[in-house]
Amino acid sequence: MAQEMIEGVNPTRMELLKLKDREKLAIKGHGLLKEKRNALIMEFFNILERVKGSRENVENKLQEAFEDLTAAQIVMGDLAVKKAAMSVKESVNVDIDSRSVMGVVVPLIDSETSQRTIVERGYGFMDTSAKLDEAAGNFEESIKLILELAEIEKTIILLAAEIESTKRRVNALEHIIIPRLENTVKYIEMRLEEMERENFVRLKIIKKAMGN
Amino acid sequence: MSSKIAVMADPDTVTGFMLGGIKEGYPVENMEEAEKKIEELVKADFSIIITTERIGDELRTTIDRLTGERALPMIIEIPDREGSIERAADPMRELIKRVIGVEMVK
Repeated sequence: MAQEMIEGVNPTRMELLKLKDREKLAIKGHGLLKEKRNALIMEFFNILERVKGSRENVENKLQEAFEDLTAAQIVMGDLAVKKAAMSVKESVNVDIDSRSVMGVVVPLIDSETSQRTIVERGYGFMDTSAKLDEAAGNFEESIKLILELAEIEKTIILLAAEIESTKRRVNALEHIIIPRLENTVKYIEMRLEEMERENFVRLKIIKKAMGN
Repeated sequence: MSSKIAVMADPDTVTGFMLGGIKEGYPVENMEEAEKKIEELVKADFSIIITTERIGDELRTTIDRLTGERALPMIIEIPDREGSIERAADPMRELIKRVIGVEMVK
């Protein structure tokens, strides 16, 4: 393998000291980033467990809700259902907060979905069927579940992005920057030693010449 | 601060969610309309936008661009009344594969 080096450094003691400092810093940074990456991946796996169950819940609940909706549409007619839907009062109140996982800001949804009684929903009873009530109830529950799922999925996406960039930095340090620094340090050391030997020989020769 | 939620989907799904108590429902009939609408909704500062998997699949690039790596808005895709669709590529699974480096059987 070709020995990668930093181009254009002078083989002086000054440069050597500077490079050694940089190498120390790079190694320290590498260790820290590695720890960060491991922590992030652990967090990522924890949350993966949650997403699976959460998505299934949403899908099941929604299926139920759509069945009820279809039934209501059959009994009442499409237009009447739409009319009823228009007059439903707003039920969801969401606050979005954020928390930080290893410096990644992820959202926290604080939702207040009030479980309402039939009367509070706000449509009339004369022209609506019981199926509509069930559908509305199921959709209310679905919304709650969906909000949870939204939070989890968004967290996963954000964590994934952070893990990727951390991984890239760890690898860059490990495979490129640190070896390059090491090689340059070695090169300078060798050059300095060589210069010392040259000097030594030169002295010897001069001494010899003077002695004669 | 209270955040805004919107539903943008096919008319039936929108009706359902309005029954559930979300007031901002935007029924769309085709993908061009959906794409325009979703841009508008993001501009209008909706924090959570609920849409269907079918729309999500078609507008993948737009959605990726809009959400990107920011915390908000959240665009969440749910199955519509025909149920969950067989996806060409499950975005979650792709993501996991990219991060972990190996396919996880889950």
